[in-house]
Amino acid sequence: MNVGELSPALVSSRMAADGLAVAIPPVTVRLRSPLRQVATQFHSLYADYVVADASDYADIDVRLVPAGGARRWLRPQVQFVVDGVMPFDAFPQDHALPLFEWGLNWVFSHRMHDHLVLHAAAVARGGRALLLPAWPGSGKSTLAASLASRGWRFFSDEFGLVKLDGGDVIPFVRPVALKNQSIAVMRAFDPHAFIGTSFPKTRKGTVAHLRAPAESVRRAREPARVGAVVFPDFEAGAEASMRRIDKATAFLKLAGNAFNYEVVGERGFKAVAAIIRGCESYILRYGDLDAAHAAIEGVMGDRA
Amino acid sequence: MDTSHRWRIPAGQRLLFEDFDDGIVAFDTAVGATHLLNVSAAETLAIIEAAPDLATDDIHRRLLARLEIGEDALPYDSLQELLAHLEDLGLVAVRTA
Repeated sequence: MNVGELSPALVSSRMAADGLAVAIPPVTVRLRSPLRQVATQFHSLYADYVVADASDYADIDVRLVPAGGARRWLRPQVQFVVDGVMPFDAFPQDHALPLFEWGLNWVFSHRMHDHLVLHAAAVARGGRALLLPAWPGSGKSTLAASLASRGWRFFSDEFGLVKLDGGDVIPFVRPVALKNQSIAVMRAFDPHAFIGTSFPKTRKGTVAHLRAPAESVRRAREPARVGAVVFPDFEAGAEASMRRIDKATAFLKLAGNAFNYEVVGERGFKAVAAIIRGCESYILRYGDLDAAHAAIEGVMGDRA
Repeated sequence: MDTSHRWRIPAGQRLLFEDFDDGIVAFDTAVGATHLLNVSAAETLAIIEAAPDLATDDIHRRLLARLEIGEDALPYDSLQELLAHLEDLGLVAVRTA
């Protein structure tokens, strides 16, 4: 059963009681919260995700709970609690969902050491993945979302999860966190996309979440071999250019982009080598999405 | 640099290499660091690994032979600089005679 098959009221009551466990492959996450708006927003963004049995083991146990302290009288606060630990300061309660998404990212980047975790977006077509490694501000989330809206299978806008035996990429399909101008850009690019509540004045500006395509959620356990590595570099007004880079340079850029390269050690080195040997790498400079798509088709068209 | 220096790979160190057409990437398993090497650096490491405690001039002679180049292409001073750099990275260690 998917989350969307439950009523918002049932999602809310489950979250308020023992929690709602949901499969977000490759993990199962249990979320507990008495905050009704969290349940409502989660219900709409995660409608296509499979509900796990209440008795199932959850890899990640998250609670979003109202925080105490004097500030709660001025502006109610919410605390992110994972496995009994509170790694962050409290957020305003009306930012609870962005806090959940960021918190889950944080947990994921600190725990998934059975994979090489790249700071990368990823999409796939025809069994070949396009890896888009980049640090924040490069436009990788918007680019990945736009490709997904044009039929590419969406893997992630934040994590390139690389298998340590062979270098294949596995999906970690979650809502896309659009920030500031990217929200309007995606609304214009795909008027049919479901974009949830806008959260103004977060620590990253205004944030809104784009629901991941249902087909990508359904196929979230299917890995793909990397067909190309493209380092995106967005600059407003820039003409699109795709420049191939040599393999040794690409290796260092990709390894330097990983959250846990030093942690996974030799296996991470070999996984990066497998990716770099198996495909070409490029730097994509772009100023608008259509031009970026055309450039990507140029390098992935015969591989995807 | 003292010409009496003799070079070896630090104890317990193991390097993995990925040789691409445009450069060689080495992974230092002891510390988890990755380095981009040119062919001179990679061959120097290979020479030192195969024959520990070689003096700098011995390494220089063997390196020129392996690369099939003359001293004008890789002067002795350049090798000294390279060895000092590799030492800074912890990839080689020196033993003074």
